[in-house]
Amino acid sequence: MDTNASLLASIPTNVLTIFEKNEGWKQELKISLATDLAPDGSFGEQWLLVDDTNLHIISHVKGETWERFNFPLEKIEDAQIEPCVGNALLRVTIEQKQHNLLHFSNEQTERFALAAHYLRQRAEKGAEVAPPDFTSEGQRCLSCGKRLLDPSLKVCPSCIKRGQVMRRLVNLARPYWGQTSFKFLMMIGLVILDLLPPYLTRILIDQVLTTQAHTEWLAWLVGGLLLIQIFRVTLVINDALLTNRISTVFTAGVREQMFAHLKKLSQEFYDRNETGRLMTRINQDTEELQGLINQMAGFIMNIVLVIGIGVVLFSMAPFLGLFVLIPAPFVLVATLYYHRRMNPHFRRYWISRWRLNSMLNTFLSGIQVVKAFGQDDQEEGRYRDLNQNALASRLRVDQAWAGFFPLISFAFGAGGLIIWYVGGRAVLAEVITLGTLMAFLSYLGMFYGPLSNMASVSQALNRFTTISQRTFEFLDEEPKVQQKPQSKMLHKVDGSIEFDGVTFGYNPFFPVLKGVSFCIEPGELIGVVGPSGAGKTTLVNLICRFYDTTSGVVRIDGMDVREIAMDELRKHIGIVLQTPFLFSGSIAQNIAYARPEASRQEIIRAAKAANAHEFISNLPEGYDTIVGEGGTGLSGGERQRISISRAILLDPKILILDEATSSVDTETERQIQKALNTLVQGRTTIAIAHRLSTLYNADRIIALEHGRIAEIGSPNQLIEQKGLFYNLVQIQSQFARLDGVPTV
Amino acid sequence: MDTPTLHESFETVLLDPKNSRFCYEGENLTYTGNDGSFYPRVSLRRCFPLSSENTNIVVRIPDVDPERSHELGMIEDIAELDESSRESVERELHLYYVVPSILRISSIREEFGFLYWTVNTDRGPKEFVIRDSIISSTRQISKGRWLIIDINQSRYEIHNFESLDITSQNFLRRYLLL
Repeated sequence: MDTNASLLASIPTNVLTIFEKNEGWKQELKISLATDLAPDGSFGEQWLLVDDTNLHIISHVKGETWERFNFPLEKIEDAQIEPCVGNALLRVTIEQKQHNLLHFSNEQTERFALAAHYLRQRAEKGAEVAPPDFTSEGQRCLSCGKRLLDPSLKVCPSCIKRGQVMRRLVNLARPYWGQTSFKFLMMIGLVILDLLPPYLTRILIDQVLTTQAHTEWLAWLVGGLLLIQIFRVTLVINDALLTNRISTVFTAGVREQMFAHLKKLSQEFYDRNETGRLMTRINQDTEELQGLINQMAGFIMNIVLVIGIGVVLFSMAPFLGLFVLIPAPFVLVATLYYHRRMNPHFRRYWISRWRLNSMLNTFLSGIQVVKAFGQDDQEEGRYRDLNQNALASRLRVDQAWAGFFPLISFAFGAGGLIIWYVGGRAVLAEVITLGTLMAFLSYLGMFYGPLSNMASVSQALNRFTTISQRTFEFLDEEPKVQQKPQSKMLHKVDGSIEFDGVTFGYNPFFPVLKGVSFCIEPGELIGVVGPSGAGKTTLVNLICRFYDTTSGVVRIDGMDVREIAMDELRKHIGIVLQTPFLFSGSIAQNIAYARPEASRQEIIRAAKAANAHEFISNLPEGYDTIVGEGGTGLSGGERQRISISRAILLDPKILILDEATSSVDTETERQIQKALNTLVQGRTTIAIAHRLSTLYNADRIIALEHGRIAEIGSPNQLIEQKGLFYNLVQIQSQFARLDGVPTV
Repeated sequence: MDTPTLHESFETVLLDPKNSRFCYEGENLTYTGNDGSFYPRVSLRRCFPLSSENTNIVVRIPDVDPERSHELGMIEDIAELDESSRESVERELHLYYVVPSILRISSIREEFGFLYWTVNTDRGPKEFVIRDSIISSTRQISKGRWLIIDINQSRYEIHNFESLDITSQNFLRRYLLL
């Protein structure tokens, strides 16, 4: 077996010898993993070797090799990873006793988690379980297989195929090709206009000023120079406008595509990527892309300019052209050095400013706390320190700049001096004319700038391809929860829900729900209770199909939710969340969010049913009040009642209340409860609640604990059973007066 | 008194260092209290890992599910334990908190937004990678003392910037902008 061979190949011979000496069977090796921590906590090697029958731990430290543990696999009941600081440990359970086996550093967690998973599976299902496939582990570069450092990329930066990315970009830019080629024409025109004036001054000096052969040309030449300047200015302005226009329109297009793609992705994607990072991608990345496109255009312009000037210089006086090249490497080196030397200073300054700003931000948003605890002086001191720090780093930037700028100008100037000397001699020897020398010197002034600019091209190019790649990868992201092509429609929904052996984990290795099965009849009001982390919200997420189950089936009206068209499914499910979310817009728009075509009468009816009509009509702008981002402040209860109106207007067959009343005071809760009572009529309702008082009229209660159903039954039954639900009620009644719970 | 109560209590239970025994059985740290109660596997936590590593050590029965783990009490200062217990406790802490202290930096290399470090630590030579973002991957603990967090959330410490050799200091100045 070749996997076996590859497992064996990595094991040092000493370890293998000890392994075999202890009756290890290398032909039947299932797992061979090395840790990077020795038993004493220093960096070293220990091996986890699992064959068909036994688990061996062999230490291999400083030339010494010995076996530390040897357990028969059949005795292992459980295997788990326990996180520590900077490392984690593997532990197994044997005869109800837990044994720590070894520590490994964080970078190996994933591999050992796979190993532990294998050991657990074996304990459950026996020896037939397939050994873990470590090659599938985690995020590795698709191209070279190295571990990925930036999980937002699928290949590592050194493997990005520049050409491919560029080709895709060009494709994306196809609609702007006309403008782009026009831009290039303008650019070439600009370069020619740049090259012309020194040529004219050369004639001016040689033919008019020094030899005075054609004095009548003076006016023409100066006029020509003026004309060129005018042309140049017009072209520069138009070129800049066009470049900006292209890059802006282009990135706006990309941004639009990204947003359109964003809404297609499933919940799982949003769990993996925090909001902040997504915002960065969509806003900053595209912004940077725009800047980089402009920068790239500049580079191309510089390349054309450098080549153009080079050609002109060499054709005018080949030997002088060579002298121009002497300072060129110096200019390039100085530029690179500049980036290395100055960038840290700029960054340091930038960071100190960032710290200062974020401190100010924290201070201002926490001003009440600062005042309440009388810590004004302490905060002032802290601000002063940070400010001093920012000041010092700014001074360092200026100092470094002051020391560095003259050096750069010297590099540029030295080139000119060489030409003055060599060229001057040539003029004296009458090899070239004075005009040629003067033209030469002005070309030279135009030469080093673009040259030094080009030294930073590779840096910008890297950034450019990385950002583009990131953008493309985002656009290539496939939604995990996929709609089947031949998905079915739900016509008339009764609202029965069935969980059939459902197991699910956000990370498949750590299931949150374990083999959950139950049936909900149409029209039932079901309360879901349990300690936090028991899997209540997960249950709801599966009904809405925000995620797909790991195993088992969720059925609505006897139909697997994976078979149902997504829009169709969600049209029949209404959700009221713990923290009501209002979009920016009017209250009416918010209520009609799921049914924008609803009439005003319907909106008002929904608001009345949600007990919200009274307060809304009392607002100065009534239903037209703007809420959400930057809108009128409404209280938590008012916002919640608006979101309930939204659910009522949708008129779903299945209603989910996820802690709908847990963040409001008792009086508001009573009002919301009244609204909810209207809402639950004739619907299948699943209510998750911390405050058990809200569940007094539930038909049945599902009590979850550690991802399993602990008990299920009517509230009265469960109280009599004195199980988990009873305990939860007891705890709550100790803490607060419960005015609604029956038979406590 | 070191009998841990099962009831929820906000009062810290101080374990009597004179009557507490810690010793290893295999890789498991065991604990015996003064009333002879024996725990075959306990786990330790530092309350102040940075500012005071040998005081206020929490002793608890571990569980992957934090809700089921349960605290036995606290050792105020491990210096008060008998010698073999203290050694066991020190070993356990050393194993739980793997925060190598950087003694020498052989090289730092920058590539595509990541810094590749090759260092020598008190636990041996190590190579690691951090994100090239000073804000997210370094913390200043006190003057000259820094914590560096790599892409796997492993931590490395620079105890005293001034006591490092010049090469290491220069690397830090350049890449961490110290």
